[in-house]
Amino acid sequence: MAKTVRLGNRLRYPITIVKLHKSPGDVVQKEEPLFQYSFKWMKEVGDSIRGEMWEQEQTTSVHWNSPSDGKLIQWQIKEGQEITQDRPCYVIEEECSHEIQFQGLCGMCGKDMTETSWAQESRDTERATIRMVHDQNNLTVSATHAQKAERELQKRLLDSRRLSLVVDLDQTIIQACIDPTVGQWMQDPTNPNYDAVKTVKTFQLNDDPPKDRIWYYIKMRPGLEDFLKRISTMYEMHVYTMGTRNYAQGVASAVDPEKRYFGNRIISRDENGNLYAKSLQRLFPVSTNMVVIIDDRSDVWPRNRPNLIKVTPFDFFKGIGDINSSFLPKRQDILKSAKTNGVKKAPVKVKGEEEVTKEQIEEQKQILEQQVKERPLQALQDKVDKEDEEADKVTVQSEDGFESRSSSPPPQRHKVLFDDDHELRFLEEHLTKLHKTFFEEYDATVKQEPDAEIPDVGALLDNLKSEVLAGYKIVLSGVLPSGYDIYRSEIGLQIMSFGAELLPAVTRDVTHLVVNTAQPGTEKLAAARRYKDIKIVGLEWLAECFTQWQAVDETDFLYHGRHHAETAKRKLPGEDGAGDEEEEEGEDKGAPNGKPKGLKLNFVNTTAEDMEEGLNDEDQGLLPDDPEDGEMSPIDGLKTFNWGSADEELNEFLASGSSDDGEDEDEDEDENMDDEDQKDVEARDPQVMLKVPGDPDDTDTEYRLPPGTKPTKPSPKKRKHAEQDAEEGATGTDSEQYNTTGDEAGGNNKAKKRLKRIKSQRTSSLRNQYEQLGGDSSSVAAGDKSSLPTPVVTGDEQDEQDQRGATAKVAHVAQQQPEVADDEFEFDEAELEAEFEAEFAAAEQEEAAAVAAASAAILSSAAGASGDGVGEDKG
Amino acid sequence: MFFLHNLERRVTLHPSYFGRNMHELVTTKLVKDVEGTCAGDYYIIAIMDTFDVSEGRILPGSGLAEFTVGYRAVVWRPFKGEVVDAIVSSVNRHGFFANAGPLRLFVSEHLMPDEIQYDANATPPQFTNNADMVIEPGTHVRAKIIGLRTEVGEMWAIGSINGDFLGCLQA
Repeated sequence: MAKTVRLGNRLRYPITIVKLHKSPGDVVQKEEPLFQYSFKWMKEVGDSIRGEMWEQEQTTSVHWNSPSDGKLIQWQIKEGQEITQDRPCYVIEEECSHEIQFQGLCGMCGKDMTETSWAQESRDTERATIRMVHDQNNLTVSATHAQKAERELQKRLLDSRRLSLVVDLDQTIIQACIDPTVGQWMQDPTNPNYDAVKTVKTFQLNDDPPKDRIWYYIKMRPGLEDFLKRISTMYEMHVYTMGTRNYAQGVASAVDPEKRYFGNRIISRDENGNLYAKSLQRLFPVSTNMVVIIDDRSDVWPRNRPNLIKVTPFDFFKGIGDINSSFLPKRQDILKSAKTNGVKKAPVKVKGEEEVTKEQIEEQKQILEQQVKERPLQALQDKVDKEDEEADKVTVQSEDGFESRSSSPPPQRHKVLFDDDHELRFLEEHLTKLHKTFFEEYDATVKQEPDAEIPDVGALLDNLKSEVLAGYKIVLSGVLPSGYDIYRSEIGLQIMSFGAELLPAVTRDVTHLVVNTAQPGTEKLAAARRYKDIKIVGLEWLAECFTQWQAVDETDFLYHGRHHAETAKRKLPGEDGAGDEEEEEGEDKGAPNGKPKGLKLNFVNTTAEDMEEGLNDEDQGLLPDDPEDGEMSPIDGLKTFNWGSADEELNEFLASGSSDDGEDEDEDEDENMDDEDQKDVEARDPQVMLKVPGDPDDTDTEYRLPPGTKPTKPSPKKRKHAEQDAEEGATGTDSEQYNTTGDEAGGNNKAKKRLKRIKSQRTSSLRNQYEQLGGDSSSVAAGDKSSLPTPVVTGDEQDEQDQRGATAKVAHVAQQQPEVADDEFEFDEAELEAEFEAEFAAAEQEEAAAVAAASAAILSSAAGASGDGVGEDKG
Repeated sequence: MFFLHNLERRVTLHPSYFGRNMHELVTTKLVKDVEGTCAGDYYIIAIMDTFDVSEGRILPGSGLAEFTVGYRAVVWRPFKGEVVDAIVSSVNRHGFFANAGPLRLFVSEHLMPDEIQYDANATPPQFTNNADMVIEPGTHVRAKIIGLRTEVGEMWAIGSINGDFLGCLQA
């Protein structure tokens, strides 16, 4: 191949050609002199010691040596010519143009390209620098060769009327997951997720030692096979993934076992040469006119956005995301799917690239290991199951309360994996449309002038897309953080690529306000409400438009706002993923869709009734069911319940109910009362801790009735007191516990105390009555108790003591039962104790049973012995 | 080309191995260290035997013993112009890669007979003359080495199947 050699910039111009050594047709070798030239320059001559120096013009004659082997074709200079600047000097037919190189070897002549010679201006390895082979990094070709190869490719594709399609794997056509739970679900037809996972393909990578190998579970996007089959008639497909080579090959063989669609056109991050971005130029170095990309991320294609069709990420394994994305920057999706399920990503650090790479490899490893270990899917399913169970419980309970149920249907377990993706259908439509448009355009241009350049599919794609939302003027609200440049954000770019106009603020012209339903930006929303014509839609509308390439009907996506149409909003599709705020709001409104909420409502109602009616009766009904007969305690569901909000509501009710009853006059008494209660609680505390070891706050409302309450013959005031006392008991318990554990929760404590005081102030009228009626006995009792030393929990010993005491009390009660009428408090307390005992016994049944079965002698002696430990008995 | 080559190597032994069968251990370690490696411009294929295991010398500071072992090994040194049999590992637009034992070989399309053309539409893509020659991954080929380059521990070669008796091997 003929090549023109230039003189180069490094000669001392002007030069004069003195003699041509070779004539056209001669074979020349590397480093052989081809011609001689001379140049003039000034030299200082003379005696430097005596300072007699002068400049003299020198003429130097130099040989020009051939930088390469070959055959001289033609001189472009002649003898005697004076040359003032760089210019072509001769044409040579090189022996080898070294256009394909493999690891520093010329693929055409086998010469070592890394050898350099003094006659050369540049290294031979620089002749071929373009990597364009899918599976090799060390094979490079020259620009001309790349052009040639690509022309051939384009011709071949045009002949078969196809285009190139670069396909991403993760979350575009498949989703991979290494959670072993999937494997178990696949084996188990009874599992609720079985239907969804039964088509999952599996493979192992063979680059790990056999015992360390993990299974990869590959879920294909629904309809993938048909999609590939039909698309392959219109497109030649390439795989371009950020996974490793082995991974890519594994997935490809799962998706396309016969290599019909992808063949060997697979490129992975091992060959990509860049861990952060993909580039079409890696595969199509010359022209991307016929290449379309489908990928779920647009940020990894910084140079090739026009050719990209962004697809909605395929998120089948919830919470898994893309297992190969640890190198990539965090994704910015318009619809944030419920992700990052315990899998934290380390913040991006500014470090040397190599260090970062190493770190990220490590990080990815960790994430993978974490996934295997933690089994996020299993956890998810467990959670769903639990919710189901709780929901079941609620229905059972509520229905049992009112009507008898004939038969309960077998509980239907909910699944966590849903096989409901429909993206490929739209994608296929788009690709078909694009293919059609391209070839129409191509045929038209070829008809006009056969040698015209092929149309750019990227431009066509832009045209197609920009028609979708043409004429729409869109304002975003609550979507991007304020101060963010909307025109450079991902969503902004997308909106504009679909032809809509993006405006920073609401004006009369605006057609759509897109709000983030999770956190609507109130300012723009309010502004938009002023204009009737502005349609206020959720982000989902935008996402749907992007998916379907159509201006979707807005009706289903209209946003009504939280002020006026709460219910309508709930019905919105996809609302359940909208965020936590939504749920909290529902909770505040007391939406009875979960058990805890329902219970809370009851609780609130009870309080309200108590307060307003003075509650003379039906304490029974208000009291929870006896925990002994049903193994499912109604308060089980409360363990997860948010008591803070309940307290607040309670306060509200209390405040509204009786704030007008004299407050000031009773304050002193109240405080006394508080003190007493406190002591009271303290005295009882060991028991409390014994009974409800796990959750001191949550259960006490029902159980920790203080001495002086009579569940059998209830008096409304006492009931009230019971509740309050219980509440205070809870606080007391809290503080006590903090003290025992040495925790410093002083602030918390203080707050609670204050709360308590406020409460007591507000309910002072009731308290007053109580004080008058039953105060004497209880205060005496309290006083009595307070004189006792507070037992300190030390461990088993104490437990045992308590237990024995409790048992003794039971015996005691049994003996005294006939004379209960005389000694009401005794009985009450005993019964209460019995209740406590029952619960405790449930935990340590055998022991207790053994003790109970023992003779009366032992019991009585035990009662005597433990008299000190359970001093309140005597009260 | 294969050679029987006399070589020498220094083998170090940890003090915990000092004992009666030290020389055996030295030999084992040598085999483990050396066999299958690329030493400059040849591969050490197998060690035949060792002779002349020197007396151990304790290295100051570490306590390791150093033995100088003379051994005889079968080595393979590929030469330019040598004809080797290889198995094709991957095929692309510009040529194909093949493995001749430990040696990675690239045969570009320029070094194939003219009638062999790249067929991108085949699955998998292949080089073929549309008759008896089909070159795809897994095919056995006979190629002539026309270029060699070595780096520390690695060697690469350019092969040619343009010549008599070169090309696909009929299995």
